Amino acid sequence: MARRHLCYNRFELLKQIRELTRSIVEDICGGRSPILRIDQFSSYCADVSGNCCCSYDLPIRKEILVLQRESQVRRLDLLLRVLLIVQQLLQENKHCSKRDIYYMYPSAFKEQSVVDRAINDICILLHCSRHNLNVVSVGNGLVMGWLRFSEAGRKFDCIGSPNKTYHIPVQVEDVEDIFSLANYILIVEKESVFQRLANDQFCRQNRAIVVTGRGYPDIPTRRFLNLLVGTLHLPVYCLVDCDPYGIDILVTYRFGSMQMAYDSKYLRLPEIRWLGAFPSDSENYQLPQQCLLNLTTEDKKKAEAVLCRCYMEREVPHWRSELQLLLDRGVKFEIEALSAQSITFLSEKYLPSKIERGVHL
Amino acid sequence: MAVNSVEDILNLLISSAFRRCRMLDDLCRLSVSLKPTRPSVLISVSDTGTGNILEEFSELEYKNNRILSGKWDGLLSVMTTSSSDKEIHHLKFDLKEVVASRRLVRLPSVTKSGAKFSGTEVSLSLYEEIDGLVTMLHLYLQKILLLKAFVSSDKLFTFPMFHKIAIELIVESGGGTKSFFLQNACSTPATNAVNSYNLTLGLEEYVSKHGNKLTEACHSCFSTGKNLKVGTGVACSKENHQNSGQVMEVVIIISNMSMLDQSSCSRLYGRRTEVLYFNDFSPCSMPQSSLEALNSIDWKNYGLVLKSVGDLDGITILDTLPCSHSNRTDRYLTRKALKLALSDLKKRNTGTLLSERAVKICNYAPDLAKTISGLIMSSLDLNFKRECFSLLGLPSPECEKDIVENCIKDKIVSVIATNDSGRRGTKEAPALFEQGPKKAFQGVGEYFDTS
Repeated sequence: MARRHLCYNRFELLKQIRELTRSIVEDICGGRSPILRIDQFSSYCADVSGNCCCSYDLPIRKEILVLQRESQVRRLDLLLRVLLIVQQLLQENKHCSKRDIYYMYPSAFKEQSVVDRAINDICILLHCSRHNLNVVSVGNGLVMGWLRFSEAGRKFDCIGSPNKTYHIPVQVEDVEDIFSLANYILIVEKESVFQRLANDQFCRQNRAIVVTGRGYPDIPTRRFLNLLVGTLHLPVYCLVDCDPYGIDILVTYRFGSMQMAYDSKYLRLPEIRWLGAFPSDSENYQLPQQCLLNLTTEDKKKAEAVLCRCYMEREVPHWRSELQLLLDRGVKFEIEALSAQSITFLSEKYLPSKIERGVHL
Repeated sequence: MAVNSVEDILNLLISSAFRRCRMLDDLCRLSVSLKPTRPSVLISVSDTGTGNILEEFSELEYKNNRILSGKWDGLLSVMTTSSSDKEIHHLKFDLKEVVASRRLVRLPSVTKSGAKFSGTEVSLSLYEEIDGLVTMLHLYLQKILLLKAFVSSDKLFTFPMFHKIAIELIVESGGGTKSFFLQNACSTPATNAVNSYNLTLGLEEYVSKHGNKLTEACHSCFSTGKNLKVGTGVACSKENHQNSGQVMEVVIIISNMSMLDQSSCSRLYGRRTEVLYFNDFSPCSMPQSSLEALNSIDWKNYGLVLKSVGDLDGITILDTLPCSHSNRTDRYLTRKALKLALSDLKKRNTGTLLSERAVKICNYAPDLAKTISGLIMSSLDLNFKRECFSLLGLPSPECEKDIVENCIKDKIVSVIATNDSGRRGTKEAPALFEQGPKKAFQGVGEYFDTS
C-alpha cells in the first residue's frame, strides 16, 4: 500500500503523538512491551542492472522496536525524548533546529546523527515531513535571479537586482507569491561558482534563477527548488564538478538522499538536467593538462558506489555512462578549470551556449 | 557407615533420632543431654519415635584412628522399644569389637508394665570439653532447624523446629541444668510441598539471624520481614530397577538488606553465598554431583557471576567436602531444581535476578519513564491525561511527577522482567524415570546476599 503522506497541521500531529503515547501506556499497563513499527525506505538498491522493483515512496521493510534489545531500547528512549520536545514545540507553535534538540540532551544523544535518526523515525511514524514537526535546519542555500517571492510577510525581490545573493528561506512552507520572469533555473554545486556568476552579472545577461546548495543540498534548498519547479514549471539545469562527488550531488538533487528517503517525494527533482561538466568537456573546451587531476582512491570508491545504484541504469543511463567514462579515464576537473581560458568564459560562453544548443543530459 | 570423629557419631545419632521421629505418625520429642562425669561427658540422645533400631547400628563402622580412640571407647548403650513391644530392650554395642557376633550384647530388658509407648535412648561417654560439645551440637542443630522454623518459647534459647517434633538440649553442669527447649505443636503431614514450605521458613529464619545467631532474628535488619526474596523449585526422578526415586528441593533466599558495618549484623561468610545441603533430612556435605550442577548453571541468565564454588565472592559453599560418589541423577535434579527455584524467585520478585541483558535494558527504565511521563504531564489535552492516569491506575492528573514516573518505571521493569523470564522455559522438570517417586528428600537451601 502506498504510504499516505498528509500535510498535517500541528493539531493533527499532536493528536497522533497522544495516540502513540497512549498506545505505549496501554502496552506497559497490560504487561506487554510497547511495539513501534517503523517503516524503512530506500532510495535505491545495489542492483546494477536496474531491473529491480525499487520504489521511492514505498517502504522496503519495517523495523520493530521493543523492550528486548538494548540497542532498540536506546533507540526508543531517544525517539521518545525527541518526541517530547516535538510535542512541546507543536503545543507552543515554536520552531527549533536539529542542533537545538541535540543540545537539550547532549550527554544522552552523544552525536547529532542520533537526533537526526530519531527525527526521521518520528516523521515516518507520524507520516509527515520534518518541518511539520517544527524542526527546521538553518538554510545553507543561496538564490539570485529573476524571481520574487515572500516568506511570512517578508519580501524577496530578486528581480530588482538579479545578481544580488539571497539566502534560501528556512520556512519554505511559508513561501508564497512566487513570481518569475526567468526562462530556466540553474543549480550550481559550489558557492564559488555561484559568486563567479554573480560577479559576472550572469543574471543581467540571462533570464535565469541561479541556486546553490553549497555542496550537498540541505532540505530547505531542495524543498525550495521543488516548490519553484512545481510553481513555475521551468527547466532546471545543474552544473557540478566533473568528479564523482559532483555527480553524487547531482544525483542527490535528482533522486534525493538515502537518509531522507522516506520524504524524497517532496525533495527530489526528476526534471533536472545535467548541464556539465562532462568528462568530454576537457577535450571539447581544451582544458590545460594541469587542470586534470588524477582520481583518488576515495574518488574511485565513490564512483563505484554511485554506479552500483539501481536508478542510475534504470533512469539516467547517460549519466551512468559519463560516470563510467570518468572512472575509466581516471581524471577529474573542477568547474573553475573552465575559467582557465578566460575568467568570464563560464558565464559568457560555456553556460549560454550549452543552454542554447541544448547540450545537456 | 564410617565414623571418623566425635562430630560424626553425634550427627549420626541425632539424625537417626530425627528419622525415627519422622516415621512416627504422632508428636515426637527428641532430647539431647550432656552431663559432665569427669573426666568424660555422658551424652544421651533420646527420642519418642519408632523404636527397634538394630539395623542402623549394625551398619556402623568404627574407624580406629588415634584421635577418635582417645575420645571415645566405641561403646553405645541403647534402650529401645516400639509401641508393640511389651518391654524396653537394653542393648550394648561395642563398635571396636572386631568379631561381629560379639559387637551386640543384650542386657536385661525392662518391663513396660502394660504401658504403650515407643522410644529410644542412646548413650555414650566422650572425653571432650563440654563447652566444645555444646557448640558443636548448636551448629548441627542450627542446620537441622532449617528444615522447619517454628514457635518461640520464653525459654533461654529459642530454636525453630521440625514440624511435629519437639527438641530439647539439656546441659547439666555444676551450677544446675540448662534446658534449651524447642517445641512445636504442629502436625502437618510431611508431603513434598510441606518439606519445601518448611525449608523456606527455616531458611528465612536462618537468614534473619544472619546465619550466626542462635536466639533471635536481627531486628535492625529484618524488622519488617520484607527484606527477603524467596524462590523454590522441585525436581523428581521416578523409581525404577536401576534408580531409587529421588526428590530434590531447592529454596533460594536473597536478602536485600545492606550489610551494616556492625559486628552483630555481619554474617559469618560476609557477602558470599552459603549453600546448605540436606540429604534425607540430615545436614551434610554437598555431593560432587550437586557441586557440578552448581557450576553448570548459566548464572549470567540471572545476572550473577559464579567466581568459584567454595570460596571467593559470588558463592561460597559451606561443607563442601567432596562426596565419594558422583551421581548423574543428583546432578540433573540439583540443576533442574535450582533453575526452577531461581526462575520461581524471579517470577515472584519483579526485577530480581534479571539476566545481564535485562539489567542493561532496565537501566533505560528511569529515562523512558521520565519521558513517557513528560509526554503525558506536558500535554494540554486533559482528557488524554485522565485516560492515561486511569490506565496507570493513578487517581488524578494532579498526581506528582515523581509518582507518575515511578509508576511507569515499575511497569516497564515488570515488562522487561516478564520478557526475561519468558525467554527461558519455566516448565516443571520432567521426570527422568518411570514409576512413582520415592520419598527421598534432598534439599538445598541457598542464601544470597545482594547488598
